[in-house]
Amino acid sequence: MPFVGEILKHRSVSIVGLSKNAGKTECLNYILKRLPLDYFNVAVTSIGIDGETTDQVTGTAKPEITVREGMFFATSEKHFRQKRPLSELYAVSDEDTALGRVVTAKALQEGKVLLSGPSGSSALKRWMHSLDGFGIDLILIDGALSRLSTASPAVSEAMVLSTGAAFSANIRDLVNKTAYVVELIGLPLYVGPEPKLCVSSFSPLDAGMLKGQRVMEVEGALTDRLLTAAKNAMVEEPLELVVGDFTKVFCSQDLYRAFLRRDGRISVRMKSQLLAVCVNPKAPNGIVLDSDALCRELSAKIGLPVYDIVKNEYEVS
Amino acid sequence: MKFREIVDSPCGIRYLFDELELQSGFARKVLLDREMMVDAGQIDQAYASLRGYYELVLTDRRRVEDMRFRLQDLRDITATLAALADGAALDEIEFFEIKHLAMLAESLAMGTDMDKVIDILDPDGLKIGTFYLYDSYSGELRRLRAEVELDPEDAQLQEELANEEDRLKKLLSDKLRPYAVTLQQTLRALAELDISLAMAVQMHVEDLVIPASGDSTQVCGMFHPGVRAALKASGREFQRVDFSFERGVPATVIGANMGGKTVALKTLCMLQYLYQFGFALPVSSAVMTPFDDIRFCIGDEQDEKTGLSSFAAEMQRIDRAIAAAETGKRVLLLVDEPARTTNPVEGTALVSALLERLSDKAGQALVMTTHYTVEHAGQCWRVQGLLPGTKGRKMDYRLVRTASHEVPHEALNIARELGIDARWIELADTIMKKLYE
Repeated sequence: MPFVGEILKHRSVSIVGLSKNAGKTECLNYILKRLPLDYFNVAVTSIGIDGETTDQVTGTAKPEITVREGMFFATSEKHFRQKRPLSELYAVSDEDTALGRVVTAKALQEGKVLLSGPSGSSALKRWMHSLDGFGIDLILIDGALSRLSTASPAVSEAMVLSTGAAFSANIRDLVNKTAYVVELIGLPLYVGPEPKLCVSSFSPLDAGMLKGQRVMEVEGALTDRLLTAAKNAMVEEPLELVVGDFTKVFCSQDLYRAFLRRDGRISVRMKSQLLAVCVNPKAPNGIVLDSDALCRELSAKIGLPVYDIVKNEYEVS
Repeated sequence: MKFREIVDSPCGIRYLFDELELQSGFARKVLLDREMMVDAGQIDQAYASLRGYYELVLTDRRRVEDMRFRLQDLRDITATLAALADGAALDEIEFFEIKHLAMLAESLAMGTDMDKVIDILDPDGLKIGTFYLYDSYSGELRRLRAEVELDPEDAQLQEELANEEDRLKKLLSDKLRPYAVTLQQTLRALAELDISLAMAVQMHVEDLVIPASGDSTQVCGMFHPGVRAALKASGREFQRVDFSFERGVPATVIGANMGGKTVALKTLCMLQYLYQFGFALPVSSAVMTPFDDIRFCIGDEQDEKTGLSSFAAEMQRIDRAIAAAETGKRVLLLVDEPARTTNPVEGTALVSALLERLSDKAGQALVMTTHYTVEHAGQCWRVQGLLPGTKGRKMDYRLVRTASHEVPHEALNIARELGIDARWIELADTIMKKLYE
């Protein structure tokens, strides 16, 4: 039963897909099925509309989320009314979303739910905070389509990444793109004196400003524009950029590499812990990649175990 | 007039509203929808209640904080209660909301019959705030649920279960319906409790005072909380000011630039609103009198949207105020430097005429700041002005009654103090001396 043991060591874990149909929902169901529930309270939510019976974009079949007896879940009023096992209501939020308010309930029997919890990092944090007092040991967050922000260490302690043929249909490209995200997740924590220079993505930047500076704090997003400016302004001294966390890096891989080649360095204030990478070799357009080759190549590249949870159906203990 | 219509008035009342620590969004909504009180008896009653909460803040802060903590759970379930009253069958989410409200009210010893509401929604006597259609509501429900669990795919059973659940929801709704009105009152009362506690705490924190009601307005030691906070941030202190006015006697305020005339007028406007919406006042003590209509005409409002020049916009604002006074209602008119943007000859004429135009209205009060010398039968107040011996460094912001309506000539001294081009100011000084010789 790979990586579920790792999950139990954290208070909050987000499951993030690198694209739609990357197998995130299977990954979440895989975890939910295997979590021990004796004396252990789990709450699960999704940041966006998820768990629809059919994918709204591509029309392919999408599994719903199966909650087990005793699990807490958060979803919108609308989806709560639509489908759920017998559940005990614990809270109804004050915040209105497009699908109504967020309802927090505890499943009294196993069953399928449509998850659509608080959307947006701050609403999510408020919801997580509102669970205080329910005795929750672990919060699982289903991060919606390419919204890495939920994986920010400011929101959840650890993360599981799911990637697959839907992200890229070419094994080499898929491995390369996934490895880049994994590399960003692994950006080191900043250690050193407080940077004297602080810029945002809109700040002008030139060599004069950087004179004598070896470290620069980046407020908010690190964009291509800012990184290009930093790269070009970096004349003699190597420069270290300090960003909030990896979700703030919005740079193309080529530019990132070019910056590193010039002795640039990027570090973070808060670090995420990546627990596992799951792959889904099937894409909705019918392409199926060689699962074993994909797992092997990706694992070799990122130095972390990679699982195809659909194919291998690791046993439930 | 609702609070939401004046919360962004240029008098700056927003500051106290923003600083008010309401626990629930619903209380905020209720406060914004509150109607302005125009009856002194009603205002005094509101203050009597506020005084009670203020004493509680002073004597038992812990209890207050406990109550406020609970009030964080207050939710706006107006729609649910309206549906209940209308005869709708509610669903689990709505039952949960009602149970939640009833338990919250009970924990705060508010509302009547809350125990009966809770009994309906807590058939097992668990005394916890969660809800689902409990098995104990009917033997049939229990039986069907057990059968469905054994055979989840049986559509017939599923339907029977759904029907039984619907029947119970309707039954519970019917049982709750007689309490719809008391639940609505309780919801409202909890929002009012949240508001009162927040006001009482603010009274303590911001050093506010409950005024008395009377026939005229007499304010001692007023301050503008927003301006005071801004001054405090830069290490300075707000000088408290006294002022009084009465209906039928127009009052003008004259004095040096930067002497705090506009701030005084804003503060008076804010005090009036605070009084009529039941807030404690930023004063040392005060007697206040209610008005049916409060008009604040301040020149520096933005009128870009209407495309009017500042003069035209101001004239129209004052015109509307005159029309309001014509209705015979009790109107408080606070006008900041009317006709300031036109030439001083016509400006003076307009201001004098305005005072005369409004002088015969017994029900209304007028307070106006001006730089023009205008003779009138009302009261004239003057900013004390630059403190002698401080070389123009220090301003005494106090307002004092004066017999002379002649505006003081302090602008040049102040300009010198500001370090404005010395040559320019000297030339102006020479011209002034020639004029008055």
